[in-house]
Amino acid sequence: MTARPPLEGVRVLDFTWVVAGPVATRILADMGAEVIKVERKITGMETLGPRRTGLQGDINRSKRSVAINMASKEGIQLARRLVVKSDIVIDNFSARVMRQWGMDYDSLREIKPDIICISMSGFGHTGPKCNYVSYGPTLQALAGFTLMMANKDGAPAGYGYSYADMAGGYAGALAALFALWHRNRTGEGQFIDLAQFENLVFLIGPSLLDIEVNQRKQNPFGYRSQEGPAAPHGVYRCRASGQDNDRWLAISVRSHAEWERFVAAIGSPAWAREARFSTMFLRIQNRAELDTLVESWTIQHDAYDAMELLQRHRVAAGVVANGADLCERNRQLSARNFWLTVRLPDGTPYRVTGIPFKMSNSPSAKAFCAPEPGDDNDYVLGELLRLTRAEREALVKAGAIWE
Amino acid sequence: MGALSGLRVLDLANQRAALCGRLLADMGADVIKVEPPQGEFSRRIGPFVDDKPHPDRSLFYWYYNLNKRCVTLDLAHPTANELLKRLVCSSDVLIESFPPGYLDRLGLGWSTLHRLNPALVLCSVTPFGQSGPWRDFEADDTVLTALGGMTYVNGYPNEAPVRPFGLQAYHSGAFYAAIAIMCALFARERDQLGQWIDVSLMEATACAVEHVAPSYFATGSVEPRRGTLHWSRYFRVARCRDGYVMHCTLGDWTSLIEWVKADGKAQELSEPEWEDPGYRKEHAERLFDILDEWAKDYEADELLTRAQALRIPYASVRPPEALFDDEQLVARGFFVEVYHPELGRTFRYPKAPYLFHGTPSHVYRRPPLLGEHTAEILTIELGLSTQEIEVLAAEGAI
Repeated sequence: MTARPPLEGVRVLDFTWVVAGPVATRILADMGAEVIKVERKITGMETLGPRRTGLQGDINRSKRSVAINMASKEGIQLARRLVVKSDIVIDNFSARVMRQWGMDYDSLREIKPDIICISMSGFGHTGPKCNYVSYGPTLQALAGFTLMMANKDGAPAGYGYSYADMAGGYAGALAALFALWHRNRTGEGQFIDLAQFENLVFLIGPSLLDIEVNQRKQNPFGYRSQEGPAAPHGVYRCRASGQDNDRWLAISVRSHAEWERFVAAIGSPAWAREARFSTMFLRIQNRAELDTLVESWTIQHDAYDAMELLQRHRVAAGVVANGADLCERNRQLSARNFWLTVRLPDGTPYRVTGIPFKMSNSPSAKAFCAPEPGDDNDYVLGELLRLTRAEREALVKAGAIWE
Repeated sequence: MGALSGLRVLDLANQRAALCGRLLADMGADVIKVEPPQGEFSRRIGPFVDDKPHPDRSLFYWYYNLNKRCVTLDLAHPTANELLKRLVCSSDVLIESFPPGYLDRLGLGWSTLHRLNPALVLCSVTPFGQSGPWRDFEADDTVLTALGGMTYVNGYPNEAPVRPFGLQAYHSGAFYAAIAIMCALFARERDQLGQWIDVSLMEATACAVEHVAPSYFATGSVEPRRGTLHWSRYFRVARCRDGYVMHCTLGDWTSLIEWVKADGKAQELSEPEWEDPGYRKEHAERLFDILDEWAKDYEADELLTRAQALRIPYASVRPPEALFDDEQLVARGFFVEVYHPELGRTFRYPKAPYLFHGTPSHVYRRPPLLGEHTAEILTIELGLSTQEIEVLAAEGAI
């Protein structure tokens, strides 16, 4: 028997859009689930960017798409017929949308008793703010990330992107798998109400407990260590590489032995033997001077050379990677074949983000290019729902589908 | 009943992957934390209750280890090593985050574990994975978020990159590890065989950076730092009377502009070209400069409330202290009370980030004291006598 992807045979009906929801269903697709996007085929979505490349291409790869108009009665009927053939229904609308369509859990369990419904809204389906509208950056602002990631002068400088959406995506995928596990054991489906706001708050747990237990106001960490004492600890400017003078190396020294190795690696300069740096306590106390001196070393070195040199001395160090570092110059990612390649419709190979784990027995699904809305109408409407050409034409006329 | 009740997980992970076990424990898995007799490293990471360092008072440890039991075993001691093997025989999953090769040196490598229990899923979480030229490199969360591309794009041009708040390389890795474990369990349902999962924290970090790789692959562009201007160019932070607010120029543009106009601050924004999101994106700097002038006289929460009433996705930029009083989180019961009897105090913890209506997550037990369940597990699960346990304790094995 050839090995099969772990989720082969699982079908996901995917009403998600923007980023967080598609990240969740991409993870399921990568593991072999058949993910069918149910979506509109209209203009007005340009703010999201192109579909087959860039972010949307990355997070929608390996999925199928059917173009159904959920604003029409017949469209909703088609979607309900697909629910009967699915294991999981997932959306990231605010609470009212699926209910308006009659696609909420209570309606769907009547036609598919063991269905699993996951709704990944911003604030959840209950509570006084459940109809608040949000995007990743606004959730990050509310959850404390924007303020706690401060610039040196204290101004908020939080994420330049929507970490909230990526984190929401993996929580959504994990929730789907927990529910599927329970269903396989008991035959019971259920509704899962995932508030992306709560997921973000979950991810700053130790700080929350410090507030709760010690009533301590949280200050931005800057480059103070968040996992026990460390010094030097931070990002240090390195020598320019050609025209690029935005080169940095992250260094973290956590023990006396590591400090000794660090000092040896940088050629045992006299300052490193001064009493004010002789213990972790003193290095933390004198960290401003220490950081300046460490940077006086890094600035003379290429970031990669410094990283390799420190790592040869078993000191934790890593280049602060930009896009080219990440995608072209990271030898470890290429050695592990992390990036995946799909074929665009014209045959051009196109790289997408990979899967961050390897399983010894189970392969992941073979990745394919993200669909434009309606690309898989033939498969979904023709093969799964057994609609004839004539029936499909009538549905187009009725405004229920786009072909 | 929890979604995962009946599953047994041995959790040998340190701070790098401790969250993975908690994710499973919150859903009802029996997660047994196996710690060295002096305690897992997380117990030495602060903050501590009342700032008194002690293995049982680390809030860092508490958060990551809620709902687990704890047995102490010195795996270098032959008897304790045997006991772990016996626990492996009755477990479904083992999570570990030792350096590659470390378990082999303890005689507990994949081939041994697989022979002992062919159905066992072994999940290894390491900075760089079990293969490749950087396999044995050293890293903590700061180094991983740097290498994974998560740090470079935060902060201002010409200033140092700003690293993420919280240990987000570890958190990303823990979620993916839990996802991989569930997938391995599904595969096991078909062939009754466990397998070895190799999670790379750097790869998990790279997966959690929204735009950097996709932009590079699509256009070859290297994403810069842009201050608080989001890469999509629809969001930016503004100063207001009592703090900061997050602008958002997606959502109902007409309502936003009518409001700004009514305040006499719209300048050219009432021109029709601004109705096009593409135009707003292209001229984001000018747009936000005008909106900043408008927002500065408001209080952050007033802007948030009035904007939301118009379905405009504004938010106030809040400190984490505000979260315990957040009406929405409180109304949904997101914070759960956990009683710590040895302190006689109850604390609110964040609970699992998904409300399962059929099989809700649950607080089964507070985080374990060091070795709290050693005797219970060794006698009830493994059938050791009190005398045997005393001998092991005297030898420092447990």
